[in-house]
Parts: sequence; structure tokens; C-alpha cells
Amino acid sequence: MDSPAANAAFAKQINIKFPLLSDMNKKMLTAYGILKGYDVQSETYQWAQRANIVIDKNGIVQHVEEGDSAVNPNNALSVCTDLHKKQSTK
Amino acid sequence: MKRIVCAALLLAALPSSALLTTSAQKTEQAAKVSLKVGDTAPDFTLLSDQWKTVKLSDFKGKKNVFLAVYVLAFTGG
Repeated sequence: MDSPAANAAFAKQINIKFPLLSDMNKKMLTAYGILKGYDVQSETYQWAQRANIVIDKNGIVQHVEEGDSAVNPNNALSVCTDLHKKQSTK
Repeated sequence: MKRIVCAALLLAALPSSALLTTSAQKTEQAAKVSLKVGDTAPDFTLLSDQWKTVKLSDFKGKKNVFLAVYVLAFTGG
């Protein structure tokens, strides 16, 4: 898993303004079921699947997208936009 | 959109030794993301790139959260 130091270098390189988080002990990935196991010869290796998840203000999952399609964030962003509109009209 | 918080998780992949053997016998243990729409998201506490603790529950009642899980930093993946 990438360390905070590696993430800091990456964040600087791509000039992002939101936090990049490290799950060094895979606790979150395990809890969310995002880890994928690969058996290579006699060993099993695990790493994360690509995934986009939107969680609303109440802590409820509103969107889950995984695999290759999650490379594109547009679906998740449109869920965020819709959520924000709904919450603004309340 | 201003109120939307984005948090990305950058996650390293396999040791290089394993990557070199991917042409050998490899089987995938297909795992689906176990979370589903409507579930309560499990809380987590993770370290940010600024070495600050970030908890999902810190945003409860305040902001929506967009979690983007990446496989490797410095890649297009």
C-alpha cells in the first residue's frame, strides 16, 4: 500500500487539493470488501480494485462502481451533484 | 459542488517479484465490492498525505464524501 510520503509526492505532482489517504494495514479495504486476491504459483497476493464510492452526509452509501469503469469519475460526480441538489432544496 | 469532499485512496499493488510471474499460472479470486447502495458505510480512520488523521465520521452531518480507490500512485490506474 502506498505510504503517506508516497501519496504526498503524488499529490504534489498532480497538484490536487483533496486528501490522499493511505490504508497501510488494509483495514478499510477489508471492511469495504475492496481487496482482490490473486493466486500466483503458491502465493496469494491482495490489492485493491479500482472503485468509486459516494457516501452521503448521513453515512449511507449512495453509489458503488468498481473495476475499469471506475477509472472514469463522471458517474460518481453526477451522483454527488444530484445529492447536493436534493439536499439544497430541503 | 463546492460542498463535496473528495478523498482518494492510493493503494500499492503487488511486489515486483509477483508482477514478473504474472505470465505463470495465475488465478483471480474474484471479489465484488461488498458494499451496496443503502448500506451504512463502515467508519474508517486513515492517514492523509499530510500525515493527518482523516475519519469518515468527521464528515457525518456535514458533507457528502466521494471515495476514489486507486491501485497505484504515479500510474494511470
